[in-house]
Amino acid sequence: MPAVNAETVGWWEAACEHRLVVQRCTGCGRTRHPPGPVCPACRSTQAAWDELAGTGFVYTYTVVLQAFLPALADRLPYVVAAIELDGAGGARMVSDLVDMDPADVSVGLAVEVVWEDMSPELALPRFRPVRAGGAEAGH
Amino acid sequence: MVGGPRGPVSARRRAPVLVGVGETEYTKWGGITDRSEYQLALEAVGAAVADAGLGIDEVDGLTSFAEDRNDAIFVAADLGLPELRYASLSWLPGGGGACAAVANAAAAVETGQAEVVVVYRALCQGQFRRFGRGPGNAVGGKVAPAGGRSAVPRLRRARSLLEAHVAFTMPFGMFGPPIAYAMVLQRHMHRFGTTAEQMGHVAVGTRAHAARNPRAVMGDRPMTMEDYLGTRMVSEPFRLFDCCLENDGACAVVVTTAERAAHLAQPAVEILGTAQGTLQGFGHGQYTNVGMPDDDYASAGARGVAARLWARAGVGPADIDVAQIYDHFSGLVLLSLEDFGFCGRGEGGPYAGSGALSWPDGALPTNTHGGSLSEAYIHGLNHVVEGVRQLRGQSTCQVEGAGTCLVTSAAGVPTSALVLGRP
Repeated sequence: MPAVNAETVGWWEAACEHRLVVQRCTGCGRTRHPPGPVCPACRSTQAAWDELAGTGFVYTYTVVLQAFLPALADRLPYVVAAIELDGAGGARMVSDLVDMDPADVSVGLAVEVVWEDMSPELALPRFRPVRAGGAEAGH
Repeated sequence: MVGGPRGPVSARRRAPVLVGVGETEYTKWGGITDRSEYQLALEAVGAAVADAGLGIDEVDGLTSFAEDRNDAIFVAADLGLPELRYASLSWLPGGGGACAAVANAAAAVETGQAEVVVVYRALCQGQFRRFGRGPGNAVGGKVAPAGGRSAVPRLRRARSLLEAHVAFTMPFGMFGPPIAYAMVLQRHMHRFGTTAEQMGHVAVGTRAHAARNPRAVMGDRPMTMEDYLGTRMVSEPFRLFDCCLENDGACAVVVTTAERAAHLAQPAVEILGTAQGTLQGFGHGQYTNVGMPDDDYASAGARGVAARLWARAGVGPADIDVAQIYDHFSGLVLLSLEDFGFCGRGEGGPYAGSGALSWPDGALPTNTHGGSLSEAYIHGLNHVVEGVRQLRGQSTCQVEGAGTCLVTSAAGVPTSALVLGRP
């Protein structure tokens, strides 16, 4: 399960409260993910956590058909995707897609976050297709 | 003779050259049980030194690249080297550092830090955790029993920066490179229309090369395009044979000065140029970073390395007779072909699909030993070995009159590359 360091623990603490955040440099406004101690653009060490709407689109994906861990055998097939998050300044994150037929995934699919509580200390942001009337599809 | 910007290699007394190659047997995952991975490292060093016509006592430098388990200081002690004068380890991860390690050896030799430097890699995946199964769940080659870890997931302190980064991928089922790089090819297919058959040309072609190579793990497993397309999916769009082997084995190469090479057993192979590095913001590559610009994400991440390599070597893609291109996944070969300029952006698929990579008739016979897909996965140091053999005229798929060979290290991570030449 996730290992954290001084730079990333804040992201996981927010996740535990079901808040999807991205780290934003308070010097120049650039976002970065995963979080780090210094802004690669302006080298500021000042940053804040921006809370996101939790919507975005599938930038790319793969449908996994082999159980790389024995415990995952009953989850096959599952979809791992890079999600480009709305309002995150172009930042993308890796997640898996749930509540859908893996055959229906495509680049550009509009998705929204759905939280899964794994333990009192850990919640994972997973994504599912946006229902009718949701966000616009990306590219 | 090809000469780089600093003039002909042979005119420089301390010009670094490759004079020896060696390897142990290569077997499937878990095939070597009678001795340790570490012992294989020592054997490969010995084989390469013997091939050069040198004695072990003449070795005074050792180098490898990130994630090597076999420390040079112990190698030096256990081989009884009279004095270790140079030891280094490239930061470039996994298969990205093989060519950089050769470059480090070359720099050590040319600057007089050492006379004979051996680059080595041993990889017995059967004796350690299997790649792709995630860290911590296999010990000594055995998967830890179920229930051996807490059933309640909790946060814990990362022991490395890499561990903190993969925390953002592994909980979502991205267990290892086959998943991470399948996503890269999916994006490439989306943008450029790359097809399964085009990746198949890489997998099927290198299998045919392996059939002529007695060292190749898959040498006795011929494969047609129909066979390839019929194999199971691992992580779309990767089928089983788009993914490199998991195996046991070790290899090594020896670098010394041109002056010394004149009196050795094998013809010296010149190092016309080296380059290493990574793009801005590329990080560990797409394995942990999906946030780089689109043109970088759907690429090998080697454009900068390629530009500097060609400039330093004084040659370009059109001058290359044969190539050994890192093939952890068939599709990543297509991306490397683009980054190194053998075809345009997005044209890697059609280029491979034209048969360009096939020995003997292709425009750029590639991975003439069978590569990581069909010879062995030794983090690409075996690609350097094959490059040397080609320029000595000793390959089992010899390109007639080969005078230049491009060798690249892993795509999709910080990487390195070499241009080798014949004196």
